[in-house]
Amino acid sequence: MRFSESFVVIVKRLGAVNREVLAMGNKLGGRRRQVVDEKYTRPQGLYQHRDVDHKKLRKLILDSKLAPCYPGDDGTACDLEECPICFLYYPSLNRSRCCTKGICTECFIQMKTPNASRPTQCPFCKTSNYAVEYRGVKTKEEKSIEQLEEQRVIEARIRMRHQELQDEEKSIKLREISSSSSMRAPTEVEYCSTQAPTSVSAIESEEIVASHESSETSVIRPPPRQRQTREDEFELDLEDIMVMEAIWLSIQENGRRQDLSYSDAAQSGEYIVEDHSSLAETVSATGSSSSPSGGLACAIAALAERQQVNGGPLTNYGCDISGYNVSGSSRYSNEEGQESENYFHVESGTVASPDSQLAMTGDAGEWADHRSQMAEIGTSYGGSDEFGDAIISPASIPHEDENQSSNGQPASGSIAPETFEEPNDASHGCFTG
Amino acid sequence: MTSDSASSRKALSKIASNRLQKELVEWQVNPPAGFKHIPTDNLKRWVIEVNGAPGTLYAGEMYQLQVDFPEHYPMEAPQVIFVPPAPLHPHIYSNGHICLDILYDSWSPAMTVSSICISILSMLSSSPAKQRPADNDRYVKNCKNGRSPKETRWWFHDDKV
Repeated sequence: MRFSESFVVIVKRLGAVNREVLAMGNKLGGRRRQVVDEKYTRPQGLYQHRDVDHKKLRKLILDSKLAPCYPGDDGTACDLEECPICFLYYPSLNRSRCCTKGICTECFIQMKTPNASRPTQCPFCKTSNYAVEYRGVKTKEEKSIEQLEEQRVIEARIRMRHQELQDEEKSIKLREISSSSSMRAPTEVEYCSTQAPTSVSAIESEEIVASHESSETSVIRPPPRQRQTREDEFELDLEDIMVMEAIWLSIQENGRRQDLSYSDAAQSGEYIVEDHSSLAETVSATGSSSSPSGGLACAIAALAERQQVNGGPLTNYGCDISGYNVSGSSRYSNEEGQESENYFHVESGTVASPDSQLAMTGDAGEWADHRSQMAEIGTSYGGSDEFGDAIISPASIPHEDENQSSNGQPASGSIAPETFEEPNDASHGCFTG
Repeated sequence: MTSDSASSRKALSKIASNRLQKELVEWQVNPPAGFKHIPTDNLKRWVIEVNGAPGTLYAGEMYQLQVDFPEHYPMEAPQVIFVPPAPLHPHIYSNGHICLDILYDSWSPAMTVSSICISILSMLSSSPAKQRPADNDRYVKNCKNGRSPKETRWWFHDDKV
């Protein structure tokens, strides 16, 4: 394994993947085979697969190039990952090479539609020439990095959202002037503002709890929807918006001063007891006691995330977050994907991963070996000799330039769901044929 | 995939109905802001109330979306239309058909009803003017009753609205 170790070093030095080097490493390292029960080397009947080359599928699974076809689990368990397509839970998933999103083998086989005229796009980030690799069960490091990234994204979104809220609030206030029925709202805002110091501490103590909740629900609920819906909860209730706005403003004021003592204060038990009551007060005073206010919860979570990112330990989380997806915003997902890619290249290799027994036995050398195999998948995929074609469908598999490094995917292929890709010469109106 | 009219009569596949049940549960826990699912006992057709976002041209207005799921959802896109009267929008036809790429060519099985709704609301919210598409009358006339918008060959050209 000495060679493999030095290989890790090479990979680390290279940083970005150079497929040729990895492929070479693979040749020297030899193939790893996965011990998989025969019955999990074929589809479990999730779909009525057409044109599946069962022999090839079996070989790819045994070669650890695709995740075994374990029967999807309906319920949630902490160490299972949810496939974002079929919403079933699996011990391990394949990952997009472009954005590292998970997908189960049976859904992956479905992705190539026979009548598609263009190369299959990644269902998550829309990068063309969709291909997956299999890295075995996620390591703890991978999981916590995903959590960290997720928090960063949430934080960024909250900041953006906050800006939107400020604009929104202006228009709301304008409308309130003309509406006599809503006279209550402005006074409530004032109430909150005067209460600001207490509200802030309330949030500080609550935030830890809130962040746990949010991370746990993302295990149960697929992250993309979670995120989209959560951010939009801001609009649920005018009162919530105003309460949140007031809280935000006071946080901004107090936060600067309190930043250093922030976490200490939050952890003091005394605070928590006190703050619970004051939070309740604030909430009920604004009349939104019936349901937990989405806006407030968001602000709380945002704060929690900020604190976590600022150096809070990640080990607080009892549960693992499954694949992190932002299907609504491919720019995000791309960036995040790259980031985690880099992480895997640079760091995973050095950290032994006891969790990854399925495909790797956990020592750094073997990891490198495994890694090189994945790169080789890419190569053979591109060469269209053994992987993909026959398994996915008879339709032609996208050909890929052999010289293109797997990291060098042009970003132009990625488009957000709301963008439109068909070229056109018309300037307005919709055109139908 | 099979043609729409054929697949729309068929029952949902096992995987489709399983996923839709989970989407519905998720929706109940976390409904997208501005939308309300009208409960029915038909998992294959969802009716969703849309409220125009505050501060936009459609503020205070309420519309209904009808979402029909094909047998092979989510591998195949659902059919999404506004129940007439449809909002006045440069990409929404008076018969309720919506010119939005994610409902057709750009559909991805990673999308959900919830993410579709958000896209539609975003499309509404960014509308510069309350007007019908330029070819509305011709298109609607050619759409014989009940024709699915998924059979339309759409040209998506406007990335702003």
